[in-house]
Amino acid sequence: MDDFWFEFVEVTQSIGDGVLFGSTYALIGIGFTLIFGAMGKLNVAYAAAAMAGAYSSLAIYILFDAPLVVIFIVSAICAAILGYLVYLTCFRFIPVHNHLAALMASVGGLFFIDEVIVHATRGSPLAFPSMFSEAYFEVGPYGIRGDLLFVFFIGLISTGVLLYVLFRTRLGLATRAVAQQDVAARLCGMSIHLTNSTTFAVAGLLGGIAGAMTAAAVGILSPVMILPLTIKGLIVTVIGGLGSIPGAIIAGLFVGGFENVVMYFRGIDERDMYVVALLFIFLVFRPNGLFGKTITRD
Amino acid sequence: MLKVDNIVTRYGTIEALKGLSLEACEGEVTCLLGPNGAGKTTTLFTIAGILKAHSGSITFEKDNLTNLSAPGIVRKGVALVPENRLIFPQMSVEENLVAGAFARPRKDSPAIDADLEGIYERFPRLKERSTQPGGTLSGGEQQMLAIGRALMARPKIMMMDEPSLGLAPIIVEEIFDIIRLLNKEGVSILLVEQNARMALKVAHRVYLLEGGKVTFNGNPQEMQQDEVIQRAYLGAGSV
Ligand SMILES: Nc1ncnc2c1ncn2[C@@H]1O[C@H](COP(=O)(O)OP(=O)(O)OP(=O)(O)O)[C@@H](O)[C@H]1O
Ligand SMILES: [Mg+2]
Repeated sequence: MDDFWFEFVEVTQSIGDGVLFGSTYALIGIGFTLIFGAMGKLNVAYAAAAMAGAYSSLAIYILFDAPLVVIFIVSAICAAILGYLVYLTCFRFIPVHNHLAALMASVGGLFFIDEVIVHATRGSPLAFPSMFSEAYFEVGPYGIRGDLLFVFFIGLISTGVLLYVLFRTRLGLATRAVAQQDVAARLCGMSIHLTNSTTFAVAGLLGGIAGAMTAAAVGILSPVMILPLTIKGLIVTVIGGLGSIPGAIIAGLFVGGFENVVMYFRGIDERDMYVVALLFIFLVFRPNGLFGKTITRD
Repeated sequence: MLKVDNIVTRYGTIEALKGLSLEACEGEVTCLLGPNGAGKTTTLFTIAGILKAHSGSITFEKDNLTNLSAPGIVRKGVALVPENRLIFPQMSVEENLVAGAFARPRKDSPAIDADLEGIYERFPRLKERSTQPGGTLSGGEQQMLAIGRALMARPKIMMMDEPSLGLAPIIVEEIFDIIRLLNKEGVSILLVEQNARMALKVAHRVYLLEGGKVTFNGNPQEMQQDEVIQRAYLGAGSV
């Protein structure tokens, strides 16, 4: 009985930790889904640009010893600029209906950013400052890590701000209008390119925050984090339903909890294998994800 | 007021408009008739800046619209109620209307609020459904919404592409009443219609489009007197 109780606490604890860390996946998933919702295209370079934002902010930390708040802001801004550049290079000038070309261009973007980071850091990991890593709260038999809680709250605030912008501002109105009916949006006086570039930049802001969050939670930044983050972001987007923001949030937290409990039982080596298996299960049994489409083109 | 001069518009290599000219005069209802595929929608899309003319020119009042983008053209006072309405399906009725005023400057917002109330007075059914997603409205309601959305831009000329398409006769009557009323209020109208009989009742001037060109232009009486046209578009002998 005691053994069972101990096991139960350990398992739920690891699920809980995973869900908190899953907020980074949720943010990355929201970014993917936002761009997909706006253009009907996947920007595969998105998570790489997010990590590049985190790297840029690390430079600020190393050079000026800036406080963590500044690091997060710099990471967000750099990733937003990179997001805009990715739009310009991989989407802006490719014919609207050529989905494959845009996809391949963004795959190219992913590898290009990855190469630049590997080159600049010689491939070795760098320490990233974490916040509240000493803090630890005990709630009954459970313990809550301060740094994970911090990451979770940043994710919550970012999502709240995004939803406000999307549903309560002029910019958000234009973003949704262009996503739902682009011809009518133009007739209303909205510029497709302006709206799309803003969407990429806003998604980049979220990505930069998520990149810094990931690095802060893990304590390091390494080029080997780029591909898994990209893949998990895409998995979260698919599981949540392409174009669905609530879907991305729930799927992000779910994947976070799932991978942590898998890690508890099977170890870190097998973790990502099961996460990818989860993707296949969804693609077969629920190909539209949890929420189907809510902000896509009709 | 609105002058289209010898425009050529292409889809890839297909020439949809082959040197089309027409003019819509201030305060009038100008009607564009023609068979399917004649290029009516293409004409309106080219004027609205959704498509680019390959050659030719479009002028509105003193302004050259030819090289303006769609947002620039709405700002000049030219609005389009598109074929099939193109409502924003997941946005509420009210958001659809507010989106229509997007091109107006922010400082206009008291006037925009007043215009929104005006639209609700004109279309009480839209007010009842103001929080409902646009995509859930009936065809007739969606057409009212599309008209309301275009009116929110405060156009000087409103182009309408087959506003009666797929609607019950009683709703069609309603739509044409609205067109008459708007015109009386001083909005010039460029109307594309398949329903020639109804269109001729409101039109001051009629253009017939065939194969991307204007093949007839005159007033409704002249059109009804033309035997060939009468047989093709109005049904022989019965007007
Ligand atoms: N996106 C497109 N790509 C290629 N050709 C097109 C496209 N849209 C229209 N066309 C062609 O251009 C011509 C004119 O089309 P348009 O839609 O302007 O006709 P219309 O007069 O509005 O017809 P309808 O009464 O059926 O609405 C047609 O021959 C059509 O096949
Ligand atoms: Mg048409």
